[in-house]
Formats: sequence, C-alpha cells, structure tokens
Amino acid sequence: MDARLRRVNKEISDCKNDKTSNITLELVDNSPFHLKGSFPGPEGTPYEGGNFEVDITIPDAYPFQPVKMKFITKVYHPNISSASGAICLDILKDAWSPVLTLKSTLISLQSLLCSPEPNDPQDAEVAKHYTTSKASFDETAAYWTQIYAGGPGPKASLKGDNIKDKDNKKGKGGMMDEIAMAGLEKAHVEQFESLGFPKAKVIDVLKRLNYRGANVSSISEDRIVEELLK
Amino acid sequence: MSDYEVSDDEYYYDDEEMMDGTQDDDEYDEMDMDDDYNDYNDDFKVDTVPKKKSYEIDYESLSQADVEELMKQDVEHIVGITGVEECAAAILLRHSSWNKERLIEKYMDNPTGLLVEAGVTVPEQPEPTTSGSRAHSVSASSPSTKRSTRSSSKILSSFVPSSRNSSSKVSSSTTGSSSTRTSSTLMKRLSPDPSPTNSNEPFTCPICFDDSTDLKPMALDCGHMSCSGCWQAYITSKIRDEAEHCIRCMAEGCQIVSPDSFVKKVLTSCGDSSMMGVDVEANKIAWSRFQELLARNFVASVPSLKFCPYPSCTNTVKCTDAALKSSLTTIVPTVSCGARGIPGLEKSSGEESGNNNKNSKSKGTSGGSGTSSSILANKEHKFCFGCPIEADHRPVVCAIAKMWLKKCEDDSETANWIKSNTKECSQCQSTIEKNGGCNHMTCKKCKHEFCWVCMGPWSEHGTQWYSCNRYDEKAGVDARDAQSKSRASLERYLHYYNRWANHEQSAKLSVDLYAKTEKKMEDMQLTSELTWIEVQFMKKAVEEVEKCRMTLKWTYSMAYYLAPGNQKELFEDNQRDLEKAVEDLSELLEGPIEPEDIPNLRQKVTDKTVYVQKRNEIVLDDTAKGFHEGRWKWNVPVEGFEDDEAGFDA
Ligand SMILES: [Zn+2]
Ligand SMILES: [Zn+2]
Ligand SMILES: [Zn+2]
Ligand SMILES: [Zn+2]
Ligand SMILES: [Zn+2]
Ligand SMILES: [Zn+2]
Repeated sequence: MDARLRRVNKEISDCKNDKTSNITLELVDNSPFHLKGSFPGPEGTPYEGGNFEVDITIPDAYPFQPVKMKFITKVYHPNISSASGAICLDILKDAWSPVLTLKSTLISLQSLLCSPEPNDPQDAEVAKHYTTSKASFDETAAYWTQIYAGGPGPKASLKGDNIKDKDNKKGKGGMMDEIAMAGLEKAHVEQFESLGFPKAKVIDVLKRLNYRGANVSSISEDRIVEELLK
Repeated sequence: MSDYEVSDDEYYYDDEEMMDGTQDDDEYDEMDMDDDYNDYNDDFKVDTVPKKKSYEIDYESLSQADVEELMKQDVEHIVGITGVEECAAAILLRHSSWNKERLIEKYMDNPTGLLVEAGVTVPEQPEPTTSGSRAHSVSASSPSTKRSTRSSSKILSSFVPSSRNSSSKVSSSTTGSSSTRTSSTLMKRLSPDPSPTNSNEPFTCPICFDDSTDLKPMALDCGHMSCSGCWQAYITSKIRDEAEHCIRCMAEGCQIVSPDSFVKKVLTSCGDSSMMGVDVEANKIAWSRFQELLARNFVASVPSLKFCPYPSCTNTVKCTDAALKSSLTTIVPTVSCGARGIPGLEKSSGEESGNNNKNSKSKGTSGGSGTSSSILANKEHKFCFGCPIEADHRPVVCAIAKMWLKKCEDDSETANWIKSNTKECSQCQSTIEKNGGCNHMTCKKCKHEFCWVCMGPWSEHGTQWYSCNRYDEKAGVDARDAQSKSRASLERYLHYYNRWANHEQSAKLSVDLYAKTEKKMEDMQLTSELTWIEVQFMKKAVEEVEKCRMTLKWTYSMAYYLAPGNQKELFEDNQRDLEKAVEDLSELLEGPIEPEDIPNLRQKVTDKTVYVQKRNEIVLDDTAKGFHEGRWKWNVPVEGFEDDEAGFDA
C-alpha cells in the first residue's frame, strides 16, 4: 500500500479512537488527502467555548513535507489572517518534522491560540491591537469567537462600553455589530459619524490607525478627520 | 553539422580565398572539425596574434569535478588541523560558509560548542567534556557508545529546539509546549530500542507506522530510528523539493545533520523495495542533485567562483580578477563556462552539446565565436561575472548597465510608444512595420527612404555625414524655463533610449535574419559553384552584425551618462563609425541576391565584415582602456566611482 495513504489512514483512525483530546478529523469529498479538522478553543482564553475548524491538505510528499492548514473558522488572532485564515506557525514551514502528525499539529494550533506571537504577525492590524490594548483585543477576539465559532461572547469581567449592545445581539443568529467586530468603541465611532462621515469609513480609518486604549489620547482628532477626508 | 555531407577536400581553402594569407595544411578529419573551423573564423579576426585583448579578462572554467576537488582540499585542511572525520569537517565547513580561518578559530575556542552548533554531535548536558577528545570520536558510523544514552530522558528534553530558536518564527514556547505535550507518545516511538535486533519487541517506524519484520531501521548519531524507506523518501524530498543540502534528522527539533556518507548510504542502498517503493532511478537523480547542491553551496561561498547561470549547466567559472566588487569599475568581466547549448534546443545528432563538457577543464578568454551549423542552439554559455543584468554588456561596466536599465524601467511609460514595432512613414503616413535589423527603411507605398531611428531621410545618412548617434547637447543647454528644461531632459533621454532600444530590437530580430540567411545560403549553393563552407561568409556576417548591435546598444547607455567633453566626443566618434559600418553591412545582408552577382556580393560582405569587426574592436578596446585608466567621467554619481567631478546636472 502507498505509504502516505497508510500513514494518513492510521492517523485518522488513531484520532477517532482517542476520546480524550477533543480533536476531530473528517474527510472532505471522500479523499483521505483533503480533511477537515476541528478542536475546541482553549480554556482561559478569548477563544474558550468556540469550536474551530481547519482545512487540511496533505501534500504528495507528506509526511516529509509539511501538511497545509488554514482556519475555516474566522479567528481574531495576531498570527492568523482575519481575512483568509492563513496561519503563521513555524512547524507548518521550516520547523516541520515528519514525526509530527495531523493531531499534534492541530494541538499546536490550539496552543497557538493560547500564546500569540505578535512580533511575527500574520495579520498586522490585529497584532497592533493585541500589543496596544490587550483587554480590548481579548474582548474583540471573544466577540469573533461568539459570532463565528459559537462561543458565549465576551465575559462579564471584560465588560466594555458597548457590552449592552452585544448582550442584545447575543447568539449566532443575532446581527453582527461591526464596531465590536473591529474592536472599536461605539462612542468613538459615533463621534466621527456625527461629523457626517459614513460609518463604514469611520470604522475603517479608526481600525487602521489603531484607535484603541492608550492610543486614543495620542492620535489627534484632526489627524483622523484628515484620514477620513482622503 | 550533421545535416550535410562534404568530401574532405572541400574543407581546404585556396590560398587566394584566405583573407590573411595563412593556410592550415592539416588534413581535415572528423575529429578536427572544430579546430579547422576556428581557423576559418580566424580569417576574419583583425588581430592575428592570439593575445589577450584589453576588453577580455582571465578566467578559468571548472567542471563540477574540479569544484569537488577544491572542496576536498578544504576538507582535508580542516581534518588535518582539527582531527575530526571528513564528513564532520565538511559539515563544519558548510556551517561556517567555507571560511576556514573563522572555523578553526571557533573550533580552537570551543570544539564541542561548534560541533553541536553545526549539527555534528548531540548536545550532552552533564559531564563537561574535555576539549578535543570527543571530537575524534565524531563519526557517522560508530554510534554504539551513544546508543546507551540516547533513549534517556535528558536527550529527549534536548529535542526542544534550542539552537534554532533564534531563527524560529513563532515563539518556541508555542512549539515547545505543544511538542512536549503532543510528542510524548511519538517520542516514545521515536526513542529507539537500544538494540533492536536483540529485542523481542518489533520495530515500528515512527514515520510510516509500518511494523513489518523486514524493515531496516536507520538512524544518525542521535539515534532517532526510522525505516530506510522513510529516510529515502525524506532525503529525496529535501533534495528535490527544497534543494536542501543540509538535511537534519527527522525527529522534531533534532539538529543533527546527515553526513554525506549517510545520504549516500540511504540513496544507494536499494535492496529493500518492500516499504516506500524504492525508486532506484529517483534515488540516483537525488544523489547527483545532492552533489550538485554541495558544489553550489561551496561556489556561492567563494567570491572568486560563480556557478554558470544557464539552465541545467553545472560548470563553474573562476575569475580572481573580478572577485572584489571594487574591480568592477575598471573591468567588465564577461566570461563563459566552457559549455555550449541549452537542453531542448540542441540539435540532435553529432554535435558537441553543452552539458557534456563536464570533464573538460579549459582555460579561456572571452569573445570566442559561435561555430556550429545550428547557430542559436549551440550558443556558448556567456555571462557577466559581476552582475546578472545581461550576459555581455560590454563595453559598459556593471554599474552603468544597472543604472541605465533602472532608468529605462522607471521611464518605461513615457518611452513605451517608441518601443512599438510600427511607425508611420514621414512622407505618406502609412504604417510601416520593421521586420529586419536594418535601419534603412523604404516605404512600400511611396518609396520614401528614411532612417528608422531618427525618421529623417536616408539620403542624409550617406557616406560622409552620419549623425544619428549623437544627441545635440546644446539644445538642452538652451532650455530656459523649467518646463522646457524637463522636456529637454526627456528628449535627451529618449534620444539615447530610442537608439538603445532599436539596437536591442534589431539584435532580437536577428533570429529571423539567421533563418533568412540560412535559406539564402542554401539558395546560393544551388545557384552558384560555391560549397557550403564557402557560403559561410553570410552567416559570419550575420553573427558579426548581431554582436556589434549588442555593443552599440550598450554604448548608448554609456553615452547617456558620459560627462560632456573631449572624451565623450571621441567615444561618440567611434560609436558613429561602428554604427555606420553595421548599418551598411546589415543592408547588404537584407538585400536581394542575384545569382550572377554572388561573387561580387561575397567580396563585399567579407570586406565589410572585416571592417565592422575592426570598428567593434576599436570601440571595445578604447572603452575598456578608458575604464582601466579611469578616463571616463560621468554626469551623475556612479556607484563605485569617486564623484570627484563637480557640476552634475541633476
Ligand atoms: Zn518508515
Ligand atoms: Zn535525531
Ligand atoms: Zn554553462
Ligand atoms: Zn555585469
Ligand atoms: Zn511612405
Ligand atoms: Zn537616422
């Protein structure tokens, strides 16, 4: 039998038999070389309570070349592209070792959610958010988890100005709050909206300028208006 | 040369046909074809003495075997000083980018540290070893002493990446924590049984999960076992997919590098076809690719060596004169690896083909002439030792060529319209397409004769007065206001660019010209008494025109940056004379051939070819000497040149 197929089949069955890890693997299009993995968000993180799905492609030279993985579930994380789900993780590149398995790689992704590495970001805007105001970042990440991964939403302890709005729209069926999705304060967005700028544009500019936490006092309103006028 | 038959005596020349009167009386035979042919080409050479020209440099072509010999000498040097084994010395050298002095210094300072850092030996935490003593035991073949320790937990804990931390992208805590968590089971599998043969427990490969009894477990010094099939697949993939010569152990975080002997053992042991489907052919390819990668790594580390950039060529050129970057202001290091042809383009039978020259160690100087029936498929592997810009950008130095191309790129949009292959007749406005290299255009409709470059009437380009190459700097000086100044500067640029691009395009069109010429040569043989070898003058002329157009092309980049003055004027005089000669010859080649006129044409073309060659020689020689003497002054600061000349106009 083809060695790659044997190995992947063994990995899939090992994973099925392992009831303790909460990692699942299932075939996509009935091919053992295109899989969908999933794992629960780690406890004590903004991802807790969510279920994260990962698209897995097994290359021809597997396991001698690294498996290809990207998030299907949208994740708010410095090392994961908020748009494409692409992941920046060394073991998926040059630090790959043939002894790593699909399961161990998924566990590595799970622990990547525990310990972001903002100095080597995949998503620069998210990384900026993470480094400047961790509390606000956590809140946004939890909100994304709620919207996309079925999480419970930001915890009471992380309560911010717009928590009331979120409570109203709790659950997957609810309307998405664009301001919370962007990790911004409702009051800030409304302030510039009232000057006559469209909401989407205000969100875009404030996000780009990282108008959060301590940054709020260092960015002048003129600067923002200037950007809005561009 | 396989597609024609000639009897031996047709390869003789009559004395009267020899341009310089010399005659080679050796009888032609199949093997001497090339020498004979070169003699024939020499007839066209202006210099009969084969001495090095001012625009040529000394270099040496090395085959991969020659390079391997150089590597071996370095390895032996390190073995002699440090006492480590050859394979270890090779890994140390690669780790130190073949800097022997630094390697020895580091080794003397801390041998164990260096051996661990380079991936030769496994780091061992306890018992601080006395320096030197362990180094001698470094070996890929005697892991027996280490086997007893390798399954211990202290080794396993050392798998958490340490030395790669600096380069590793994501926090080691991430990988580390996950690996310690996840790999505990794997590591148990990976940490091999100290003596698999004695054990009752059968070996299960931790990579492919195979547990067949006929598996052949293999490991590096670190002892991380996996089956030979997995090693083969892994090493092949590293070499083929990643072009990697530094192949580390498969265990996660293990830094041990496979010695060459191990790679060879894995790729050449082809007895067991039970597991990963041993592909003997693929292994062979991988092994030879591995050796090439090692040679490339070495060549890339030595400034006086450069790998031939032609596809699938494995030759190297050694050029000591061009090893230092500072030398590139005085020389243009055009070199050739000694091989010819590009795979896929080669003519099928009988010809010496490019890559088969691997074992020939040839001394050479640049500027050899193409000598095969298939002109393009058998081009020599010419390249610039100093830059990747163009194979032969003589007479200008790399910095000027680079600046000029950058400028053309930046200004490409303004200049785009000139690039186009069509123009309008200045008299009747009908569209005219250029399809040959000649600049003398005749409108099909109104028969107006004009110059493609300046669009002026061709009559003004007659014998005495040819000013198509020179930009009237005065017009630029006269510019008063900023607007006309910037227009003048654009016009100035376009003047040079136009001519530069025209020669480039003409040289490209010479592919068509080659084809047409070959057809004409065939016709000539049918309509005249001339033999195949006697109609070679046509091909030779086409080659010369192409060569000179490349020279001319680059002279315009040079003239653009030359500071105004006597030197520039002399340069442009030489440029003009060459251009005029080239256009004359080019026109002659593209004209129709009347059978009764062939002897006359032959004389004319041959004479003009010699003249063109002489003009080209003068341009190349004088420019090269100018660089050597530091005679050329620029109107802008040029990288590497002292900008002592004041008054650059921005
Ligand atoms: Zn195996
Ligand atoms: Zn190892
Ligand atoms: Zn070559
Ligand atoms: Zn160059
Ligand atoms: Zn016309
Ligand atoms: Zn002209």
